[in-house]
Amino acid sequence: MKTLAELKALKERASKDLALREQTDAQRIVVGMGTCGIAAGAREVMLSILDELGKRNMSKVTVGQTGCVGLCAQEPIIDVMVPGQGRVTYTKVDEQRARRIIAEHVVNGHVCLDWALNVKDEPRT
Amino acid sequence: MQFYRSHVLVCAGTGCHASGSAELKEALTVELRRQGLSHEVKVIDTGCFGFCRFGPNMMVYPEGVLYTGITAADVPEVVSEHFLKGRVVQRLLYVEPETQSRLVDFEEIPFFHKQQRIVLANCGLINPESIDEYVARDGYVALGTALTRMTPAEVIETLKRSGLRGRGGAGFPTGVKWEFTAKAPGSPKYVVCNADEGDPGAFMDRSTLEGDPHAVLEGMAIAGYAIGANRGYIYVRAEYPIAVQRLNIAIDQARKQELLGKDLFGTGFAFDVELRLGSGAFVCGEETALLASIEGRRGEPRPRPPFPAQRGLWGKPTVINNVETLANIPPIIRNGGEWFASIGTETSKGTKVFALAGDIINNGLVEVPMGTSLGDIVYDIGGGIPDGKRFKAAQTGGPSGGCIPAGFLNTPIDYESLQRLGTIMGSGGLIVMDQDTCMVDLAKFFLEFVQDESCGKCAPCRIGTKRMLEILTRITRGEGREGDTDLLIELGESIKASALCGLGQSAPNPVLSTIRYFRDEYDAHIRDKRCPASVCAALFTAPCTNSCPAGVDVPIYLDLVRAGKFREAYLKVKEANPLPIVCGRVCNHPCEARCRREQLDAPLAIRELKRFAADQVLSTEGKLPSPAAGAGTGRRVAVIGSGPAGLTAAYYLTLKGHRVTVFEALPQAGGMLAVGIPAYRLPRSVLEAEIKSLQSMGIEFRLKTQYGKDVTAESLARDGYEATLLAIGAHRDQKLGIPDEDSLGVLPAAAFLRRVALGDAPSLPGKRVVVVGGGNAAIDAARTAWRLLAREVEIVYRRRREDMPAQDEEVEAALEEGVKLTTLLNPTGVTLSGRNVTGLDCDEMVTADFDGSGRRRTVPSGQKRHVAADLVIAAIGQGPDVHGVPEAALGPRGLVAVSGMGATALPGLFAAGDCVTGPATVIEAVAAGKSVAAAIDRYLGGDGVLAQNPVERTLSAPIIEDLLKREHSQHLPCRERIGNFSEVELGYDAQAACREAARCLRCDAKS
Repeated sequence: MKTLAELKALKERASKDLALREQTDAQRIVVGMGTCGIAAGAREVMLSILDELGKRNMSKVTVGQTGCVGLCAQEPIIDVMVPGQGRVTYTKVDEQRARRIIAEHVVNGHVCLDWALNVKDEPRT
Repeated sequence: MQFYRSHVLVCAGTGCHASGSAELKEALTVELRRQGLSHEVKVIDTGCFGFCRFGPNMMVYPEGVLYTGITAADVPEVVSEHFLKGRVVQRLLYVEPETQSRLVDFEEIPFFHKQQRIVLANCGLINPESIDEYVARDGYVALGTALTRMTPAEVIETLKRSGLRGRGGAGFPTGVKWEFTAKAPGSPKYVVCNADEGDPGAFMDRSTLEGDPHAVLEGMAIAGYAIGANRGYIYVRAEYPIAVQRLNIAIDQARKQELLGKDLFGTGFAFDVELRLGSGAFVCGEETALLASIEGRRGEPRPRPPFPAQRGLWGKPTVINNVETLANIPPIIRNGGEWFASIGTETSKGTKVFALAGDIINNGLVEVPMGTSLGDIVYDIGGGIPDGKRFKAAQTGGPSGGCIPAGFLNTPIDYESLQRLGTIMGSGGLIVMDQDTCMVDLAKFFLEFVQDESCGKCAPCRIGTKRMLEILTRITRGEGREGDTDLLIELGESIKASALCGLGQSAPNPVLSTIRYFRDEYDAHIRDKRCPASVCAALFTAPCTNSCPAGVDVPIYLDLVRAGKFREAYLKVKEANPLPIVCGRVCNHPCEARCRREQLDAPLAIRELKRFAADQVLSTEGKLPSPAAGAGTGRRVAVIGSGPAGLTAAYYLTLKGHRVTVFEALPQAGGMLAVGIPAYRLPRSVLEAEIKSLQSMGIEFRLKTQYGKDVTAESLARDGYEATLLAIGAHRDQKLGIPDEDSLGVLPAAAFLRRVALGDAPSLPGKRVVVVGGGNAAIDAARTAWRLLAREVEIVYRRRREDMPAQDEEVEAALEEGVKLTTLLNPTGVTLSGRNVTGLDCDEMVTADFDGSGRRRTVPSGQKRHVAADLVIAAIGQGPDVHGVPEAALGPRGLVAVSGMGATALPGLFAAGDCVTGPATVIEAVAAGKSVAAAIDRYLGGDGVLAQNPVERTLSAPIIEDLLKREHSQHLPCRERIGNFSEVELGYDAQAACREAARCLRCDAKS
């Protein structure tokens, strides 16, 4: 990096890459892989997500990782981002839940409200 | 043709029919006719909408509104709201379950709402292994700006303006530290990142390194530029493998992008970073020990000065900053010192990251502006204490810090406030402790930690903390000696003054701080050989027995119930508590809250089992047994008042051979048991049976005899009574303190309950009764009014439901019976029509900060509300009626004053129970009656020993560790409770009792 302008160019390229990835490739799944997440089983969740996506031939879904968001008590946590919808955060995800989240949310677009963190209280049934 | 303005399509498909659409249609037709709308609204049967899961469904045209899950009960509301007034009933609308309507922004989640994330801004958002994602969020802009547009002096100046202080614990201003290092002679200079996070329960630095490693690298590079260093070291624990791995990846990526290395941003400035792995010695978090460890020497501290800024790594000027401090640098350079200084308090700027651990719901990592109150962190962000338990204290600063008790929840978290409370900010560990924590055990835990981690270089830390630990250990084993607490303070102070490094100087803090706030717990361990929290195992046989104020031997009598030996069980209870059948019904059972079975499935129903055993004895024998009176001493004792404290004292004094007469002002014996607790909780026949069992021991009862009037101190002395016990309870109601409260139609709760108990109940049918208060008396009054056929009963309470002092099961029962509960409402005046009450003017309240008890205070919101009432019952507390009590025996707050075990200032005059403590529980009154009986016995020349019979603690049957449900007893159905005072709880049958008793884990049987 020789100049600030060069850094700015990298920033724009990186931002565009990120935006591009989020827009065209549609869905993105991010798994919390801090120590807390891994201790709670994030690795198994990650593997089951990759396995499930593989089975379904969903090569366009990107899977990423991130650090601890602070809610260690709720790990493993995964974020599902679908263009046009906001970020949906799922807590206490296990292998089974991860597979169902892929089937219901990523494939069919139905948010699994029961496991989503950023959901209003008092659901009407 | 008839014109209908609206068509209502009611689904008559099979699915909706099954869920009640026919009744819905019928109710709709009737209600439309009743409200005169049947000519305007047409009801039509229709086929399936396909929403069978949410049925019955109903579509309203022309609006096209779809109501789901609508029942006949909703019809009047829908007709009057929608069809009459044109307002859609929102709560019955169909909510698209797969829509985003219920999804909220992340910031709206309570956990994040009060947080402000500067250090953690990227954590949990970006991929820590991708430098691109860091750069996309303005990463390395600060470094570029500093290198190309600022001089090193300007960087330091910006930092000084920001007010950033070291986040490692001591809080030294970072800009000043950099300035010292920059000005120090010597070359080369070094930047060191202290990532040797060692406090138990702390993981702020680990998460930052794992979640946003580039932020730390960027902060180090800026520090290097500011002080003139070209090399940095990160000293990180080897136990943090993920952090190490991500740091290595980040360093590689930064080097590839030439953000570390030579000639950064074309300025000729070079900076690179290396990792040094620490092996987990706590002392290496101390900066001089850390430097020694990096140099490859033994990790031992050395005296300062010289400070590392002068002579640090390899004797060269060195800046040592903690991870969080460094992660704050890039945002400060990007946004300016003023921006950072605008956050936080006068002396503590910016935010602080805390690792929330211990007894807290949202265990995790939070970042809040400095000055946020401890209560906000624990309750609003942390979600409060699990299992409905009470907050006891929080430990900050780990083994170097101290505790903050519940009375200080309003404390703003900043360096100075914490110091004033005797603790430190530390690196950010925040361990929350609930009521089950023993503070002596806690202090011992931290001291054990320090003992293990002491490097041994200086004697105060090596030997002094060892001696302190020995003292603490013997205290927790019940071998504490008088003066041990003062010895701990003396030792602690001298270690603080003489230890070589920060570790040793701060090691006594947890002990000194727990002594400061919880000295009574140390006293209980040392003097009474008792651990109030039931933690120090050497001090009790079983936690249930230990948490019973009267010390009832729970496991033994449960075992007897299990074996079907009900009489033995009853008598076993009665050794420690003369009122088993009463307490089996009304005790607040602190024992169950400490039952170890709770960790397996659910606590034992100890109270129910006590009741079952007593009921069995009463029904088979027709009366309750009592032990024989002791061999006569010929001494006479007068007990004034026949409540639980008086009865208990009379019982034990009789066992000790004294002749006891109980004087009762009312026509019934039992005190609050007879005229306070309503009969649906404690049937009079049951109470009388237990009182009779005491009479059978030779205790004499004189009813309708008032102290100060019918008998006096002089007359009692004349009649040969050598000691008198005042156990007059707290029957005088406190006033609301609002205008017009003495009008007709305002009744104090205790007076109301007493009138009802004595057969003089006011006529309530048709009346709207409002009860003011949140304690057990309020609930008793409300449920009593409901039984007296009041048209409506409403409880008005100024705080929140979770802050009500009433037992939760009582509140539940009241709600079940249809009593209305309105919280956050505080009466300010009585409204009158003529001389009759029409209601209460009230302030609507909102929650504010915390009071000394750790509950949320409430303040008026500015909104007023009127609550209609024909009768107002004020249940806001009681005090003793001290009429006739000698002046010399009175103390503050209108209570009777006693010293030590219950003696008043007058010789031969003792006092116990509610008149000494203010309103308390039955079992606390029993405990008070016991200890005062012992004191009176000693006063009369006895030994004062109230011993229980020895028992053999062996298993009579196997312990069952399979998961078992707690047995629930039957309750009288609500409809059968109206208009009478029949007992609500019906108790166990024999099988259920046996199954329940068999769940006991027999914590008392050690082998």
